[in-house]
Amino acid sequence: MKDLAIVTKLMMFEKRDIFLSILVGFIAGIAGVGLFAASGYLISKAALAPPLYALIVLTSTVKLLGFTRALTRYAERYFSHRATFTILSNLRVSLFEKIEPLAPGIFQKYRSGDLLARIVGDIESLQNFFLRVFYPPIVLVLVFLSTIFFTAFFSIYAAFVLFLGLVMTGFVVPAIFAIKQRRIDQDVRENRAVLSTDVTEYLYGFRDLKVYQQLESREEQLLQSSGQYIKEQEVEGISKLFSQSLNTLVSHIITAIVLGLGVYLVANGSLEGVLLAMLVMISITVFEDASPMAAFPIYYHDNQRAARRLFQVVKDDKTSANERNLPSIPDEVPSVRMDNVTFTFEDEWRPTLKDISFELEKGSKTAIVGPSGSGKSTILQLILKLYEPVQGDIKLNDLSLASSNKESIWSMANVVLQENHFFFGTIKENLLLAGDDLTDKQLTEALQKVKLDRFSLSDDVLEKGANLSGGEKQRLAIARALLKKGKLWLLDEPTSSVDALTEKSIHECILRQAEKDTLILVSHRLAGMEIMDHILVMDQGEIVEFGSYEELMGKKGYFYEMKEIEKNLL
Amino acid sequence: MDKLKAMIKQQKKRMALLVLFALIAGTMVIAQAYLLVIIIEDAFLGDANLTDALPWLGILLLVLLFRTGSTYLSGRTGVKIGAHAKGEFRQSLLHQYKVTPVQASITGQSGGKVSILMDAVDEVESYFSSYIPQVIQSSLIPLLILIVVFTQHVNSGLIMIITAPFIPIFMIIIGMQTQKKSEEQLDKLASFSGGFLDTLQGLTTLKLFGRARKQKQTIEKSSLGFRDATMEILKVAFTSSFMLELISMLSIGIIALEIALQLILFDGITFFVGFLILILAPEFYTSLKELGSAFHNGQSSIGAAKKIAEELTESDNEITWGEKEFTEVHQPPNLKLNQVSFSYGVDQFHLSAIEASLPPYSSVAIVGRSGSGKSTLLHLLAGLLPLSEGNIFADGSPLSDYKEAEWFSKLSYISQHPYIFSGTFAENIAIGSTNDASREAIQAAAEQAGIMDLVQSLEKGLDTRVGEAGRGLSGGEKQRLALARAFLNQPSLILFDEPTTGLDLKTERILQNSIRKLSENATIITVAHRLHTIKNADQILFLEEGKLAGKGTHEELVASLPAYAAMVSVQQGGTA
Repeated sequence: MKDLAIVTKLMMFEKRDIFLSILVGFIAGIAGVGLFAASGYLISKAALAPPLYALIVLTSTVKLLGFTRALTRYAERYFSHRATFTILSNLRVSLFEKIEPLAPGIFQKYRSGDLLARIVGDIESLQNFFLRVFYPPIVLVLVFLSTIFFTAFFSIYAAFVLFLGLVMTGFVVPAIFAIKQRRIDQDVRENRAVLSTDVTEYLYGFRDLKVYQQLESREEQLLQSSGQYIKEQEVEGISKLFSQSLNTLVSHIITAIVLGLGVYLVANGSLEGVLLAMLVMISITVFEDASPMAAFPIYYHDNQRAARRLFQVVKDDKTSANERNLPSIPDEVPSVRMDNVTFTFEDEWRPTLKDISFELEKGSKTAIVGPSGSGKSTILQLILKLYEPVQGDIKLNDLSLASSNKESIWSMANVVLQENHFFFGTIKENLLLAGDDLTDKQLTEALQKVKLDRFSLSDDVLEKGANLSGGEKQRLAIARALLKKGKLWLLDEPTSSVDALTEKSIHECILRQAEKDTLILVSHRLAGMEIMDHILVMDQGEIVEFGSYEELMGKKGYFYEMKEIEKNLL
Repeated sequence: MDKLKAMIKQQKKRMALLVLFALIAGTMVIAQAYLLVIIIEDAFLGDANLTDALPWLGILLLVLLFRTGSTYLSGRTGVKIGAHAKGEFRQSLLHQYKVTPVQASITGQSGGKVSILMDAVDEVESYFSSYIPQVIQSSLIPLLILIVVFTQHVNSGLIMIITAPFIPIFMIIIGMQTQKKSEEQLDKLASFSGGFLDTLQGLTTLKLFGRARKQKQTIEKSSLGFRDATMEILKVAFTSSFMLELISMLSIGIIALEIALQLILFDGITFFVGFLILILAPEFYTSLKELGSAFHNGQSSIGAAKKIAEELTESDNEITWGEKEFTEVHQPPNLKLNQVSFSYGVDQFHLSAIEASLPPYSSVAIVGRSGSGKSTLLHLLAGLLPLSEGNIFADGSPLSDYKEAEWFSKLSYISQHPYIFSGTFAENIAIGSTNDASREAIQAAAEQAGIMDLVQSLEKGLDTRVGEAGRGLSGGEKQRLALARAFLNQPSLILFDEPTTGLDLKTERILQNSIRKLSENATIITVAHRLHTIKNADQILFLEEGKLAGKGTHEELVASLPAYAAMVSVQQGGTA
């Protein structure tokens, strides 16, 4: 409820369009009722053989109302949709403002791809909030109240019956349905999740299932959960249908009551007979607008869930507020130190890093090596304060990261991650992230250094760099890092998709530029480690060896064995 | 589309019901109008009081009940047809995936297939649950109304007949316009719609470069751009409904005018007839408009059905199996490859005319650069891909003569990325065997694969859940779990896709020992990435661009094949 209030507040920035939507929606509704009331009156009047001019006035009114109704419907649709899309835009901006200070920390809590798709999807689904939840009931109530008011001039009882109809079709029936819907919705969701798991396992695990002859039983299981899911969907569909039909039935019954009441009033003389047809026509028409209310609970429930999830993402954070007030790390070449650092990802069952301690002096060059999943990348991420350790302390130049501001760390760091993002635009735009004042000459030079000189600065880059190969993306990311004047280099397998020869020359280029800086390189290959000051060997979240290339090779330990295996590899 | 129609044909009984309910609903619409008019006329022009009207009102209530009841039942029937169709579609898709399988999982399309089995099938439903019932209702009801109006007053009927075609005509014209317009706007839409997600996904990068806060404007710009492009398309759609509304309003207006004139000037009709027509006219036009919107809504489910149909027509050679059984159950088969060929399609990669003989208990290494066809050959040997030409003989008979179960219970396939199913350690290991494996056997397999110390460190031991809903395992641990499956299975033929990099030393050692142990009683065929595996092999199959460039031992090939010698010597300098 509170979450939707936030959405409502954001919505109110578009007062003008909201007001217009309600206004023209109201006119359209009233014109519709007026149109049928007038035609009912017209036919009754005509039966009494009135003067011709009266009839002409009436028929013109009918035409005019018809035209007004069509036109205002158009305007209503136009304004309400424009409002909706503007509201969505406001929502995106406002949510971005909330997420921005929390990123990338919040991506850790949720499996990140999932989170982003969810945010985008939830915002999309909120487009129904204004369009189907917020303003239609307002228009409905306004039209009804005006109609009831008008009817009250002729018969207070008929007005009362109409009011009763409004309460029933607009509120009581949808409310009953809403309660039922909530439970069914839950079941459908659960069944869908089960089926989705079955389908995923069947298709992704296909080869293993086939070889081990488990395919038949899995298929059976899958069809069973599909059947279950379809059955629940069926229940949902029928229940929805039932509520709609019930709503229609109630409105029909109300019309019948109005009719009976009218007959009674005409018979005892308190209502003119000529008005009877009009009353009935009013009742038939006014309920047409009420039928969409049957779907109201579905949209309402959906939006509520979307809003709750959206604001939950941004809500459960406490640290970010203080973060910007923390002191900055001075922009100078740093030493890096970890003291008994332990780190566990939130959805993992064992620590990714266990009691890690090391010290890297200013200007040193270090490689981190080890099998995949041993915690190499996590060390870099902790140094960047993308995550915070569960235990222990990390220091840059003897300043604890816990009490330093993240942005000062990022501004002094030249980072290449395993996954580097590129934006829809040009090569130039993507490189300019490193600094607005960079000249084309500098940008071109950077491209040359990573051997991407066959690209021109104006070449297009698609979303996520979809038109670039893995190696090209890595090299572009390195070019971007080379352009940034940071003093701490953190490189996470920056050249894993680049051939050995190019890799060597890029490494040399980076080391030349980083000569005076501190550099940490995570590498899956062991070639070229001779030039590093330190090699840090990781296995299962622990440092198993630490030393220079010569020391480690002399020791004939873990690193030496890894080197032997690599030699053996084709 | 054809699939949808075929599905409808299967459901003749329910379709008949839909028509029946539509006819009842139409009749009730007319009866309702008739009763309303009778009651009003009696009170207005006659001097009936409430007691006179009560019986009529009673019938009216009954009619109303029937009207909504038949609409409800028609929708309900639609939902049932939809549910049936979804089940059928899912089943036939699954069957399709089962018989034309591994190619898809090799080419990495599993994600797309998941979405078809889940979402596309779900989308098809509305075709049956709303589109079909709506079309039937909206075509029958206006027809019934028209017949009644003609019997009562021909002029009004004529007006309806003349005006009605404008509605579908306008819909078609405007539908085409919208299509054109949206095609024009498509690029704009695409570039705007991704903007928000793009920025969110790149947020880490933006933050590291200190750029995140400036992105607000970008998001606003792309959102508003998206709004404007969408509104352009919507405007056309709104104009279309405006025109339809106008047409129906004007037509109703003309009918009303005509009736009024008839009533007063010519005395051509009675109040009863006039009023009846006046009530029926809006029902007539509303039904027609609904038909239009039904067509519009039907489009998306037709699109989904097309996707499914494409999947179902995608044809592969099925792998065929026979009835033959192996005479020696525990002995490795004597394998001979005779002109073995495989193609992924015209102009695509193909493996051609492989000739080789793989005797029992031998160890064979398949060697070649990436893309030379190593995995394809391994899949063919496993019986997971259909041969396009040639034959694989096992103990003298073609593989296709044997029973599928006979063949697969002989072999274990250890891939680079074994799939861990959602379930316990024990269940994941037990997949290796078709028989119900005893707890002891599972435990022994886990021990042999060197995963027992991990298992023992866990509170629930072998009953700890792993996979999707359970605990994450490292690459090395997954590899060892896959080994445990093989140990449980005790295969006489092992197909092994050797991991390239990234394993921890412990797994490396276990892997080597285990493979050695497993191969004591089996033939082992390895896609090899390690020099010692290659050197130890009895026979090497060296592939180049889908062709067998040479076979023999390491020494023989180094001496005779420069390409092979070049390949195995690169890494010995340690620079690769």
